Amino acid sequence: MSGYEALAKKIMQRALKRGANQAEAFLQVGRSADVRVRDGEIEDLTQATSKGVGIRVFVKNRLGFVWTSDFDQTGLDTLIDRAIALAEMSAPNPLNGLPDKDALRKYPDVGELFDEKVANLPPDWKIKAAIEMEKVIKAFDPRITAMDSVGAGESVSEVYLATSAGMSGSYQGTSVYLYASPVASENGSLQTSYWYDAKRFFEDLASPESVAKKAAERAVRLLGAKKVKSQKCAIVLDPTMAAGFISSIAGAANGDAVFKKSSFLAEKLGKKIAPAHVTITDDGLRKRGLATSPFDGEGVPTRRTSLVEGGVLKAFLYDAFTARKAKTKTTGNASRGYRSLPSIGANNLVLEPGTKTPEQIIKEIPNGFYVTAMLGHGANTVTGEYSRGANGLWIENGELTRPVQEVTVAGNLNDMLMQLDAIGNDLTFHGSTGASTIRFKELTVSGE
Amino acid sequence: MSRTSTAPKRAPVPTGYQPLLPVQLCERLLSAGMERGADFAEIYVERNEFTAVTLEEDKVKSAQNGLSQGVGMRVISGAKVGYAYSDDLDEEALFRAARTAAFIAHGGGSEKSFPVARTPLPTFYRLDNHLADIDVALKRDLVVRANKAARAYDKRIKQVMCSWADSTKRVLVANTVGRLAEDIQDLCRISTMVVAEGKKGERRTGSYGGGGRVSFKHFDTFTPEFVAREAARQAIAGLGAADAEAGQQTVVLAPGWSGILLHEAVGHGLEADFIRKGTSLFAGKLGQKVASDLVTVIDDGTMANARGSLNVDDEGNAAQFKVLIERGELKGYMYDSLNAKLMGQQTTGSGRRESFKHLPMPRMTNTYLAPGEDTPEDILLSVDKGVYCANFGGGQVDITNGNFVFEVSEAYEIKKGKLGRPLKGVTLIGVGPEALKNVSKVGNDPRPDPGMGTCGKDGQSVPVGVGLPTLRIDNMTVGGTKVGAR
Repeated sequence: MSGYEALAKKIMQRALKRGANQAEAFLQVGRSADVRVRDGEIEDLTQATSKGVGIRVFVKNRLGFVWTSDFDQTGLDTLIDRAIALAEMSAPNPLNGLPDKDALRKYPDVGELFDEKVANLPPDWKIKAAIEMEKVIKAFDPRITAMDSVGAGESVSEVYLATSAGMSGSYQGTSVYLYASPVASENGSLQTSYWYDAKRFFEDLASPESVAKKAAERAVRLLGAKKVKSQKCAIVLDPTMAAGFISSIAGAANGDAVFKKSSFLAEKLGKKIAPAHVTITDDGLRKRGLATSPFDGEGVPTRRTSLVEGGVLKAFLYDAFTARKAKTKTTGNASRGYRSLPSIGANNLVLEPGTKTPEQIIKEIPNGFYVTAMLGHGANTVTGEYSRGANGLWIENGELTRPVQEVTVAGNLNDMLMQLDAIGNDLTFHGSTGASTIRFKELTVSGE
Repeated sequence: MSRTSTAPKRAPVPTGYQPLLPVQLCERLLSAGMERGADFAEIYVERNEFTAVTLEEDKVKSAQNGLSQGVGMRVISGAKVGYAYSDDLDEEALFRAARTAAFIAHGGGSEKSFPVARTPLPTFYRLDNHLADIDVALKRDLVVRANKAARAYDKRIKQVMCSWADSTKRVLVANTVGRLAEDIQDLCRISTMVVAEGKKGERRTGSYGGGGRVSFKHFDTFTPEFVAREAARQAIAGLGAADAEAGQQTVVLAPGWSGILLHEAVGHGLEADFIRKGTSLFAGKLGQKVASDLVTVIDDGTMANARGSLNVDDEGNAAQFKVLIERGELKGYMYDSLNAKLMGQQTTGSGRRESFKHLPMPRMTNTYLAPGEDTPEDILLSVDKGVYCANFGGGQVDITNGNFVFEVSEAYEIKKGKLGRPLKGVTLIGVGPEALKNVSKVGNDPRPDPGMGTCGKDGQSVPVGVGLPTLRIDNMTVGGTKVGAR
């Protein structure tokens, strides 16, 4: 047993001894390094180690929570007593508590999450990769005149969990990433873009050259962007923007929001909410997924949950507390860091790809808007209203034509799901959400 | 909001006060940071205590305490920055961090020592009792009262979520320029979010909150009942709202929180890092006309007890009152010390960071528009047809092309100078300088926001304040779902 695993157990046991009926220690340890470059030199280089523990206690069905980054024994003892005193402040709720015994099954085999290669990358790897990206971007087009940031980094993280419900476990993971944000200018007007890749395994990571080219291309093609007239038309989201849309839908499938009737999907379980080609899965087991882990933030084994299947809303996401409220079972979606209580969140979200190429999807549109960047939060999952600022390229007669900016795309999430009439075959994982190019038959564009 | 800030009081060094890290150790760490011949080294020490209480479904859900402490070491050599942080405060870990940060320098070592001396600072938010020392039971009582008041407001209020959050942050900054600055920064906020249900399952949300670097007594007057009723009023007022019309319209912004328009439309674009890198559309435009004559924009880190105020920024420099735009003319940018040095300027006390885990960057503090001469009534009467924006959600800007959006959470149509039906799903979009050139009337009713803003940049969140008098902007693009009624 490692020192941290033993420490998590010791904290949990001390909380029980000091008066908690149930206790849990969620401990995280990590190290990270990040570099940004400018003009072929380091701009900044950050290296760090960090750690922390969150201690959740239940005293007579009341919840208390404390967290700290200080592992000094006396400090921890004082804090544990504090957690128990804090429980007095909250209301008793018989639904409070750690996950039930039957939820704590054996952990699934999620495969490797830790890459030795990432953990042992030479310190100059990042610097070289970032300098290469900067060179490629500058060579891409003379109109690229400045760089917001170009960088690379890696991190190693460990999670240790000990609960009085009999659960004790740990896992280690790695991640490695590249990012670039160039600025292009022409006739006094500026455009930017942001492109990145993040993976658990070094060999899965895109090359610095491909990240750089993509970033450069996406900035340059927006030069000269203008407003368009307000109108209703077909809207295409590229895979990164589609991933954002899918995340909003998963946000509305949060079991807690549903229970409180604070979700536009609250009364839609078992009903058709989208065309038959729409299937959305929360896949906690996805091999090498950035959000893959053997157990969730309260020790429940992770799993695959089909949210939308063949256009029908199949399930909501739950943690232990909300599942008890809703008289159902947790789906292993208690998401958290040591500084927060568990709350419901998706693991790896996937919109199942379709069969059309992105080119085919665009080709079928006589007049529409291909969106490559958005501004604002814009999706209200309570009311279903959706309105965001958008940049991209106008589609005329199946071709991408002129760049567009300073417009909004608006609709209602209910309606938008039904309007989702094409899904591409270009499934792309940007972070932990995977999506392809998607098309909405008709939404409102506001401009002139 | 007044343009003259409260006269600063000098803060005495409290008796029996222990610095976060012994001064002598700070000096030795600075020497370690300079071992490879860098130009500058800095140590930032932080200890932050958090308390939070949450309430939902009529029950106090949790009471929480947290403690975050650590040290960030920054070393600068030319334009290169090395940064290392640690949440271990033992000497070995601290010296490791200092040497890791020094890695970016390549010069010879020196035996020089770097003595530091305490800088006297003004204070804009000295509290008699730090928020961390206030009994949690009193904080809990506030959220219980808010919940009660929101539910009592109207039967159609179906969900109420209330929360309290406070932090008491102690910081120490020491650097090789000889500066040593310390501060205690208290911050708190009460928030209420409600969902109202109307006919046919229609749902509307409302939210309100506030606080700042204020003492707990602030909530005797800024009561939880006031906060809760305002959140409930917004949600109920929105029931039955009509779809907004898409396209260019005249908009009138209510005073206060609408200041996030300024924050997004111009504020970020005037931060010196974007200017130096040439990524902001305001780069190279000093002295030029960037807004209508009616527009004077100020960033003021010295407002008494405001959420964005600072006695000292996160580089140890005093916060300032800065005129960014005066009668439409661009007057100045916001600088941290690194960008100021690289650009041959002076810092404006704008170097901020979320925590010891982050590098400082130029950031806003409290950003507001100076008042004009029109009464709010006259401004409304001047509009034949348009949209009145009463409350706002969040906003975002692309500082490069200047596009900004902000979400209007409570809006009404304006017809012949009078407020009409409520509108839903309204978003405003524009390009910063163009929107400011279209400002056609500025009210005489300046108002700060109630103290609920948090600004995000490069993944770092810091508390900020905003403020605006009633404002009329012409030809603003309104994002809606209805087309063609014009």
